[in-house]
Amino acid sequence: MLSAPSAATAGIWDEGNIENGQALFNANCASCHKVTNEVLAAPGLAGIADRWGSSEEILVQWIQNPQAAAATGDPYVKSLVDRYVGTYGWMTAQAVSADDVKDIMAYVQNPPDVVATADTGTDCPTIYDALEEEQGANGTIWFLILLTLFLIIALSAATVRRSLERAAQEVAEDDDAPYVVRLRAWAWDNIAFVSILGLFVVAYLVVIGYQGLMGVGVYQGYTPDQPVKFIHSVHVCENEVDCQYCHHSAYESKHAGIPSTNVCMNCHKAVKKGSRYGEVEIGKIYAAIGFDAESGTYLDGEGQNGYQSPQDDFQGKPLKWNKVHNLPDHVFFSHQQHVVVGGLECQNCHGDVGKFTVGRIAPVEEINGLVDDFPGLIELSKPTLTMGWCIECHNKAEISFASSGYYEDIHERLKDDLRGNEELRKYLEDEKTTVKELGGWECAKCHY
Amino acid sequence: MADNKIYWSGLEELDRTPEFEQLESQEFPAERPVDEFLADDRLQRANTGRRDFLKFMGFSVTAATLAACETPVVKSIPYTNKPEEITPGVANYYASTYYDGHDYVDVLVKTREGRPIFVKSNTETGYGRVNARVNASVLGLYDSARLQAPQLNGEATDWTTLDGAVQKGLSGAGRKVLLTGTVMSPSHSRAIAALAEATGVEHVQCDSISYGAIVEAAEKDFGRRVFPSYDFANAKTVVSLNADFLGTWGDTVWYTTEWAKTRRPEDGAMSVLHAFESGMSLTGSNADRRTRVKPSQQGNVAAALLNEINGQGHVAGLDEAILAGVKAAAADLKAAGANGLVVAGDNDVATQCIVNAINVALGALGTTVNINEKAALHQGDDAAFATLVEDMKAGRVSALIVDGTNPSYHAVDAAAFNAGLDKVAFSVSTALFADETASRCTAIAPNHHWLEAWNDLQIDPERIDIAQPTIQPLYDTRHATESLLAWAGQTVDAYTFLRRTHNAAYSAEAMYTDQDWNTGVHNGFLAVATPEKVAAAYSGSALAGALAAVKGRKGGGFELDLYRKVTMGDGQQAGNPMLQETPDPITKTTWDNYVTMARADMEAMGLNTYIAEKDPASVVKVTVNGTSIELPAFPQPGQLPGTVGIALGYGRGAGNEAIGKAAYQVGEGGDHLADAEGNLVPIGKNAFGLAGSVEDLPAFSAYDVTVQATGETHPLACTQLHHTIMGRDSVVKETTLDGYLAEADAKRGDASWNRVIGLNVHDDINGDGEINALDKKAAGEFDLWHEHAVDGVGHRWGMAIDLTSCIGCSACVTACHIENNVPVVGKDEVRRHRDMHWMRIDRYYASDWSKERGAEEGLGVISTYAKMEEPGANPQTVHMPMMCQHCNHAPCETVCPVAATTHSNEGVNQMTYNRCIGTRYCANNCPFKVRRFNWFHYPGYDKFQNLNPAQDAIQRMVLNPDVVVRSRGVMEKCSLCVQRTQGAKLEAKKAGTPLEDGSAITACAEACPTNAITFGDLNDTSSEVRATYDNNRTYHALEEIGVQPNVAYLTKVRNTPNA
Repeated sequence: MLSAPSAATAGIWDEGNIENGQALFNANCASCHKVTNEVLAAPGLAGIADRWGSSEEILVQWIQNPQAAAATGDPYVKSLVDRYVGTYGWMTAQAVSADDVKDIMAYVQNPPDVVATADTGTDCPTIYDALEEEQGANGTIWFLILLTLFLIIALSAATVRRSLERAAQEVAEDDDAPYVVRLRAWAWDNIAFVSILGLFVVAYLVVIGYQGLMGVGVYQGYTPDQPVKFIHSVHVCENEVDCQYCHHSAYESKHAGIPSTNVCMNCHKAVKKGSRYGEVEIGKIYAAIGFDAESGTYLDGEGQNGYQSPQDDFQGKPLKWNKVHNLPDHVFFSHQQHVVVGGLECQNCHGDVGKFTVGRIAPVEEINGLVDDFPGLIELSKPTLTMGWCIECHNKAEISFASSGYYEDIHERLKDDLRGNEELRKYLEDEKTTVKELGGWECAKCHY
Repeated sequence: MADNKIYWSGLEELDRTPEFEQLESQEFPAERPVDEFLADDRLQRANTGRRDFLKFMGFSVTAATLAACETPVVKSIPYTNKPEEITPGVANYYASTYYDGHDYVDVLVKTREGRPIFVKSNTETGYGRVNARVNASVLGLYDSARLQAPQLNGEATDWTTLDGAVQKGLSGAGRKVLLTGTVMSPSHSRAIAALAEATGVEHVQCDSISYGAIVEAAEKDFGRRVFPSYDFANAKTVVSLNADFLGTWGDTVWYTTEWAKTRRPEDGAMSVLHAFESGMSLTGSNADRRTRVKPSQQGNVAAALLNEINGQGHVAGLDEAILAGVKAAAADLKAAGANGLVVAGDNDVATQCIVNAINVALGALGTTVNINEKAALHQGDDAAFATLVEDMKAGRVSALIVDGTNPSYHAVDAAAFNAGLDKVAFSVSTALFADETASRCTAIAPNHHWLEAWNDLQIDPERIDIAQPTIQPLYDTRHATESLLAWAGQTVDAYTFLRRTHNAAYSAEAMYTDQDWNTGVHNGFLAVATPEKVAAAYSGSALAGALAAVKGRKGGGFELDLYRKVTMGDGQQAGNPMLQETPDPITKTTWDNYVTMARADMEAMGLNTYIAEKDPASVVKVTVNGTSIELPAFPQPGQLPGTVGIALGYGRGAGNEAIGKAAYQVGEGGDHLADAEGNLVPIGKNAFGLAGSVEDLPAFSAYDVTVQATGETHPLACTQLHHTIMGRDSVVKETTLDGYLAEADAKRGDASWNRVIGLNVHDDINGDGEINALDKKAAGEFDLWHEHAVDGVGHRWGMAIDLTSCIGCSACVTACHIENNVPVVGKDEVRRHRDMHWMRIDRYYASDWSKERGAEEGLGVISTYAKMEEPGANPQTVHMPMMCQHCNHAPCETVCPVAATTHSNEGVNQMTYNRCIGTRYCANNCPFKVRRFNWFHYPGYDKFQNLNPAQDAIQRMVLNPDVVVRSRGVMEKCSLCVQRTQGAKLEAKKAGTPLEDGSAITACAEACPTNAITFGDLNDTSSEVRATYDNNRTYHALEEIGVQPNVAYLTKVRNTPNA
């Protein structure tokens, strides 16, 4: 990573593409820097063009490889190192080109949505209140029960008086008969009332039983306690950290993964105090990875994010998280398939995590409510994380054949009259092909 | 009538015993051992009464119901510092090299989250292909019986103390000896030299299976003490004199791959293989012409061959049948000339000298036999070892270091070695286990497992193969090289030492900067300068003596050949349950060794020739020079009467050594059996003691042995009993090379050796005016089911298996076993036909009789069948891999009441475990009998505690996380490695490119050393499997039942003259 030729860096402050720069900034810089004066995990970048006291080449190099830039002995860079590295640590080298830097600088100097971003800050929940909403879900059942009772009363009101009168009469007639016999006689006499009452009781029990059984294995709203009171809303909503910054293996693997502690340290080497729990929760990360907050050094002595070998004196103490989205062993779900190939947004299955504290299975209604914010989102009816929910989506989600060479090849085979199969060509008739039509409902797609 | 052979699956089928007939109609015996269970004494002794039992049941049911409503809490523990190259859920592959003293293969090791879980061939840059022993070896890494710390006087110690003790031990007077197997590592050799210099230790190499005669003959004839390298790819005629080069002999994995390259009928020519042997070896079963000779006659067969070729030899002591075989072989050898090759397995210098003379006479030196090309395999020096044992017994040895060898088990006179070892003042072993030798040593300095260590190995002078660690050492073990260096007084780690072997100036700063080294580690080898080849000159001076030596050889009543099984090798992996359970490709027997005998001999002795679940084998006593061994007798077709064979590699751990749980017999409850003294009972018996020695060379054969019936019985667990193909030539189709070439251009279905099978219809479709037997329609045209649309839509996974290439080596069986988490069920369950292998290899023998011959000789139908049941004395053999055929019209799918087995539009018959309720209708309706039922909870039930890797806390790390571990009560079967096809599709989708042919490959196809198995997308018109599928040799097994499988077979072509 040598410094870029000066031709590439000319006009670095004013010739970039703002839109492109915004995307690059969000992808590479936003986890530590803000475009305002505010300090996140590193100094804010507002006014950088005015205060940058060195050449454009050095700026590019400083971003691409800070240590190498410092090694040039540039006095301004040296002043930056002296001032900030002790507090925030070295910046991670960024894989951006000189042109990218140009775009980023254009955005940093002229951030179009800086005001808007500041405004949305108020949308971020400061307290987790979904639990209270959960209580409301049982309301429907109570409403049904009350309605039933009301109907029973209303229907029987007319006969009650008559019944009572007749009962009194009978008691007078046959006082010695056992209670059961008398009750039976009474029921027989009030056959209409008893039948209707019985019907409602049975209907109620059936409904309760059905709902109870359908709820087995449904974990909507499951929010286990976690060893660290991690607040998604602070990270995702307030600080706009992209989901994949921490759960990056959603793009690379079938598991989205829980971030390893060294990922936390990228920011928390500098951010030593949380906005909610102060040093308590962040301290747990330090204890896990072995970091001394006061001196800003790792206990294993290998510097930042040094790979620990078992021979080191300090052994990491991994955080034991409680898994939120549990799938049975016989289910093979791939994040990669859905995120990279299917192009789904995380919110499609996980809801607006920015409104959560710790991880939680978002109920399907809550996810459906996001459809206005995420146009690609598919509204579903079955409870989240049940098989019905999965295959409902596979039935609705469409495949765009033009999206990749892979699907184009499959499409060609379908169309090919010589090889294509009559029966399956019907899939092409309605101009859309769903996941199901290409086998998305077949058992061995997920079970093996 | 080569095209119409009748195959029978075993002697049981020939006999048509009642048990067999019953099994034939029922795959799973109806009788459940309920009575046995209830009658069991243990039940009476149990403390749990009936009422308590009901209480427990009630409580468990309630508890289970309640528990089902609770969300299970699962911990998820990320790395604190995630290594950059590891992404959870994504496999990494590392190039490495496997060498165990016999097999030498360049491999790729698949790791998941840092755990090695699969070993496959490094086909791009590597040497050799994996076999069953190599790919199953990954299990050994996780063996909980491995030593977890160094030991001194039987107690755990630390390395400093141990090193002190060893250095003190090495300071004594007298001989100090380092005993190893053949060392192939330049670095290890360098460490040995350093140790020798520092302490005066002498180095003695001794192989468990001696090839000393070949090495000695090479020294006599060519002046070089080397094991020659054989180039089978160049050979047009191969003659094997009891050399099982396809299974266990020499550099097997390399020979197998090379030989298979010469066996493609599409090339218009095939090499021809003649085998001369007494018992049926894997090579013999694949031979185009197999001649049965006694061990004592092998030398004279070589002499007769030489005589036919250049008249120098002699003809002595051979009967007509053998001479006919010799003449045929000699004719083919002469036709091949310099492309002829004779290999002999007998460890007899005279025979090997005659074989050298034959190869030289053919002009094969430099084409198929190279004396100087490959580096040293099999360098053991048996004379030096014998001297060492003498010196040890005489107390002349003060210190012994045993490194990577186990003479207390495999020495021919192990008792003498052990007696000598007791007199050695200080001994230390670098074994991974406290095995037979190590447990007798003063100290043990456990070495790393090969998957944990850096190594450099050299078989090819042009390259250094690199083995790299794929996991941190699990235990407190130390690289053997490092141990030797420590004892030489050098404190250097094995890695640095290894780097300095190849770059003397290496220092730790340059760890990652040497690009040549990095590329070498990536590819698995470093290229080195080619040494100048010096042609070997043949002296021939030893020939006359050799001919004289073999001429007078005579055998006694019985002759013995000690062979090795393809699965067990020399026994070093005796604790590997997967290898123990993999059936021997010939006898189809698991978990035992036995005496293979000719049926006629067994009948003469009154031994049981029918071995089944409830019919144990008769035990015989084999005595050689006063040494006896008692083993069950197995009736082996093709075994020459008057000869017996016993497999080596069994009977490990006879002294209660901790060599792995699976190395010992277990009872029906799953506990280890113990003998009267409380010792664990090993599996099989150790036959090394019968090997005998001639001038210090272990002979591995004996010309005069006695075999006596003992009256005892021993159950054997064979996997092939429950199949029949009697009279069904639609299972295996075969022809000769001439027959094939005559119709090589025929369309599929037209050639006489691969006709479309027709079924009669009740309609005058041939238009001859009447409805008769001639009204036939191709079986494929009948449709009982609705068309299942798989052609031309998306993918259609298909497999083609070339029976010409398949040699039955069983590498696919173990690969499938490991890839798909197939449980190990143990001998008792295998005996009950509840083996769980998804993939099996059916072995069929040919009979000399057919319906046509019966008709010609005027026999009635029943008499003909009776005749067809007579075994060919020396039958031809077919190996047929059999797994789920993924029928497009699958009979299993239609009978499943819960739709747990369904068809995908990719042509795969899917098995959904979570839906299966275990009715087993599908297994009953499967014509191929490939479905396996989980009778037990193998990962948890006590019966399998000492067998199934999934029950061991450490060994379960070998399980493939991409495949679920099935629970009790569900059916399972081959999935065509759906986890791999799904993975390959995902990669293609991510890349946005059409699926590349070859990117999806099943574990069996990947493991096959002969490329007999082709797998791919049949709907991809350019795929290899499509081309193979369209070959005119292709057919479907049991085509007449019209199930339209997606697995096809290619007609077997033998290079035999037309009969």
